[in-house]
Amino acid sequence: MTQLYQQARGVTIRALLLVSICIGIMFVDHRYNHLEIVRSNISLVLLPVRYLVSLPVLGGNWVNDWFTSHTTLLEDNEFLQARGRILNGQLQRMQILQAENTRLRNLLGSSRKLTDKVIVAELLSVDQNPYRQLIEINKGSSDGIEIGQAIIDDFGVMGQVIHINRFSSTIILISDPDHAIPVQFIRSGVRSVAFGNGNTDHLELRFLPTTADIQVGDELVTSGLGGRFPADYPVATVASISDDLTDGFVSVLAAPKARLGSSREVLVIKVGDFDAGN
Amino acid sequence: MRKLNYLVIYLSFIVGMMLLILPLPGWAKIYRPDWIALILIYWSMALPKYVGLFTAFIIGLLVDSLLGALLGQHALALVLITYINLNTYLRIRALSWIQQSLYVFSLLVISRFIIFWMDGIMGLTIPIQAIFSGPLIGMLVWPCAFFILRDIRRKAMIN
Repeated sequence: MTQLYQQARGVTIRALLLVSICIGIMFVDHRYNHLEIVRSNISLVLLPVRYLVSLPVLGGNWVNDWFTSHTTLLEDNEFLQARGRILNGQLQRMQILQAENTRLRNLLGSSRKLTDKVIVAELLSVDQNPYRQLIEINKGSSDGIEIGQAIIDDFGVMGQVIHINRFSSTIILISDPDHAIPVQFIRSGVRSVAFGNGNTDHLELRFLPTTADIQVGDELVTSGLGGRFPADYPVATVASISDDLTDGFVSVLAAPKARLGSSREVLVIKVGDFDAGN
Repeated sequence: MRKLNYLVIYLSFIVGMMLLILPLPGWAKIYRPDWIALILIYWSMALPKYVGLFTAFIIGLLVDSLLGALLGQHALALVLITYINLNTYLRIRALSWIQQSLYVFSLLVISRFIIFWMDGIMGLTIPIQAIFSGPLIGMLVWPCAFFILRDIRRKAMIN
């Protein structure tokens, strides 16, 4: 009996030690980013677990691709070629406009970059913390991904990179309750910040003055302030405006353009140094 | 040969991690039982000399990285419930499986509460019913987990 009691006391000391280590780690992880290297190594070790879980989905896609019929492929090919021709036609004009724009900007001395490089990445189908809006992609630091890079899909901004390891990275979506993105209304030029609220259907814009020129249906783009997100990418459309007269502010709900819940392929935007030639 | 048998413990934790990140439809996410905590409770109850506080700490850090949580958050919760378990396992082993389920439920609620507390300090809002929904399902799957893991332990001949 004494032996059991002894063991329990040793356990208490060890438990206290580990608990204080945990609290220390949490504090450091929350306030500073010294532990990012530890996190990326742990997550590299766990990569096989992530791949094993997303294997059925990846395998399902592969089987689907394999059994796509010849005619479907031909139709797709024809459609894509036609689309490619149209886009190329538009691009010719775009290139001329872009060159002109760059020239004008150079004349004005404005150092804003107009083209960004992108990396295509695929989502790993794994669940993260259910109370956060995090997703995992299959590209990491070995593909040139860095913390803070913006993520978009075909329709708009999705989020930004928060953790990386060599072969995968974690993305925080713009709808995460801990995320905010600087935005601008295209029509009126009003600048604001869109907060996530844990719901993929809408973002919140708080504390806008009642006099601000805002209408339902207004388009929001990234303003480029804050330096994280490149400017002028579509973010959301204003869905509703609630006029709270008691405190003199309006709060706005906006529906994100990106398909936050269902996109399978995303683009990671690499914002490089300013290059006047582009 | 004896060393090899302990591999099943690690394997069970890997399976637990896979269940933890298995994609579920949105509405089902708050009902996902904390598989890692269940497996840890079982092993620390059955083999307290081999699976103890340090294992809980390491597994907790792995889970934190896997879920994109604050490093140390799940580690703290798992260390604390393992500590409680190491102090009570002799009495709990003797209970019927219904009473054991209730005990496991309370451990899971404590662990969930600690995790949500940390989230709260960081300023995240948490759906309050989720403190009980996950542990409730955890309590219901505990007898299954218990019998499966006990069979595995007996097949692997770890005593």
